Amino acid sequence: MAKIYVATDVLGFFALDEAGNVVDKELYEKKPDMVAARLMELEKSNYVPEIVKLIERIKPRAEKVVLEDPELARKLVAAVKGVEIVGESPSHILVEFRRNFPKYLGALGLTWDEYQKFLFEVSDLVTRLKLRQAVERRDLFIAQAISTLDDVDKILNLIASRIREWYGLHFPELEELIRDNKEYVTIVYHIGHRSRIAEDALKKILPEMPEERAKRIVESAKKSIGAEMSDWDLEQLKIYADIYLNLDAYREKLATYIDEAMKEVAPNVRELVGPLLGARLIKLAGGLTRMAFLPASTIQVLGAEKALFRALRTGGKPPKHGVIFQYPEIFRSPRWQRGKIARALAAKLAIAAKADAFTGNFIAPRLKEELLKRIQEVKTLYAKPPPKAPTQPAAKTPPPPPPPKKGGEKRPPPRRERGRR
Amino acid sequence: MSIEVVDVRPHERHYGVYIVKFEDGTERIATVNLTPGKRVYGERLIKWGGLEYREWNPYRSKLAAAILNGLKFVPIAEGTQILYLGAASGTTPSHMSDIVGERGLIYSVEFSPRVFREFMEKLVDQGRRNVIPILGDARFPYQYAHYVKGVDVVYIDVAQPAQAKILADNADYFLKPGGHVMLVIKAMSIDVTAPATETFKQEINTLKERGFDILETVHLEPYDTAHAMVIAKKKS
Repeated sequence: MAKIYVATDVLGFFALDEAGNVVDKELYEKKPDMVAARLMELEKSNYVPEIVKLIERIKPRAEKVVLEDPELARKLVAAVKGVEIVGESPSHILVEFRRNFPKYLGALGLTWDEYQKFLFEVSDLVTRLKLRQAVERRDLFIAQAISTLDDVDKILNLIASRIREWYGLHFPELEELIRDNKEYVTIVYHIGHRSRIAEDALKKILPEMPEERAKRIVESAKKSIGAEMSDWDLEQLKIYADIYLNLDAYREKLATYIDEAMKEVAPNVRELVGPLLGARLIKLAGGLTRMAFLPASTIQVLGAEKALFRALRTGGKPPKHGVIFQYPEIFRSPRWQRGKIARALAAKLAIAAKADAFTGNFIAPRLKEELLKRIQEVKTLYAKPPPKAPTQPAAKTPPPPPPPKKGGEKRPPPRRERGRR
Repeated sequence: MSIEVVDVRPHERHYGVYIVKFEDGTERIATVNLTPGKRVYGERLIKWGGLEYREWNPYRSKLAAAILNGLKFVPIAEGTQILYLGAASGTTPSHMSDIVGERGLIYSVEFSPRVFREFMEKLVDQGRRNVIPILGDARFPYQYAHYVKGVDVVYIDVAQPAQAKILADNADYFLKPGGHVMLVIKAMSIDVTAPATETFKQEINTLKERGFDILETVHLEPYDTAHAMVIAKKKS
């Protein structure tokens, strides 16, 4: 009964006694793919079946099993019962094993050249697997997805307005009665001819519509002054409506995808400003890593480049915010508070992006708390609008060229979820 | 490109290092290209006497800078096995690979996937079979202990505060008895506020405390500021 040392190698595991003799071994099948998969696990300090098998087998002969990876040893304790497993780093027996490795190799009937070839093959494979994992540029996928989302929104609006006009020839009164594009198109697609519009039919396709409104729709359908439309005429409109609904369903999926992907790639940014705005920032920065390298002041005006460069050129006021204007606390606040809140938010975003790109630590809750505190502070300290600046005394020299009208705010007001509502 | 080579001769002290003389009288160091026709970092390729040499740029490789600054002994020759920590995109490892040849081996550890991708493209894909690429963290040697066997040299060039400690730790795991270590001290990566000489002293002391005899220290000015190369040998 003694200590048994377990050496890890690309060939498998070797059990050594205290004199450095190999007393047992458990080798991998000599398939590079499989070995690579095992090594990936080991490098994360996870155990693999072969090492469990080996320890189970040497257990009766050992009172203590020694490994060099303390984390792996700790995890193995839970997997193999009845023997003490400890980490010792480095272990002199295993150091000697590595130094004299060619000697052990001979016993396996392998030459050093063959071994070196296999070693290269496996390390090459593992490195490539790891690189692929690391360089999967999810952030760029997200940037594309958010651009697609914007495209889809545009297309949806375009289709909806066409359908409204087209169907409006037949049932013009509906235009005023239903503001939501999706509801409108749903009616066109599922019901079609206005004579078929009845309360129970509406209830079936739009269960959330208040009864009183459904009644009004049915009423005006009866009294409509629109032109007659045959099913043959309606057919084309229906196909187009179907496209709208499919595209709308796709939009949902896309938004879910962005949310999921943001959870993986930029959890901190997502937590701070939500998946869509977060994704938009990554897109404008040109990737998460590039966003992580940006100063907060740049993040603050991402999306307002035109206003920023105009301000720099003319010496006017720089924009207070770019896309981060979409953050509710900014666009809902009075004008004079927005700049301060935007600055605070951008500062936190800069930290969040760095954490996402370089550490993977989830620090957003703290950032968020600090941010909300600062927003509260702004709201109490600057509750009143600042006094109007005193008008400049009449200049003796001819006045300078007129200053630009206003800073930033180039972005349209934030888009609601979709369509009109 | 138009400058003619007039002579190539072996370096008087260093195995595998050559001095290329150009017609305008300038001299550069170079190694024999292990993968003829292939460049690693845009260096000049020089054909002479049926061999292809790769110019070794001291501004890109700290080992080249140390050699040009009069380093007396480089413990690398044909067949040497090296553990290289901080391989980055492979500039220096590529020249080591030229020197140690096919019988040698360079276990090249790098932490950053971004720069290591270039290493794979420039060294592995171009056919260098004497480098073992390892994407790993030099601070945790046991995570790559299944690749690395006993080595003759541990070379470290990482931008980490505890360079000497990481080097000594890795030597404990992998260095053969009588093996050498080579430490590139990046004073500015350790402590930007302290004077470089203080940092050098402190790192060298760490090596001494961990049982190394210091053989040589060479500063890398003018090629790199606040950098030094230390060669040491493990006390047996």
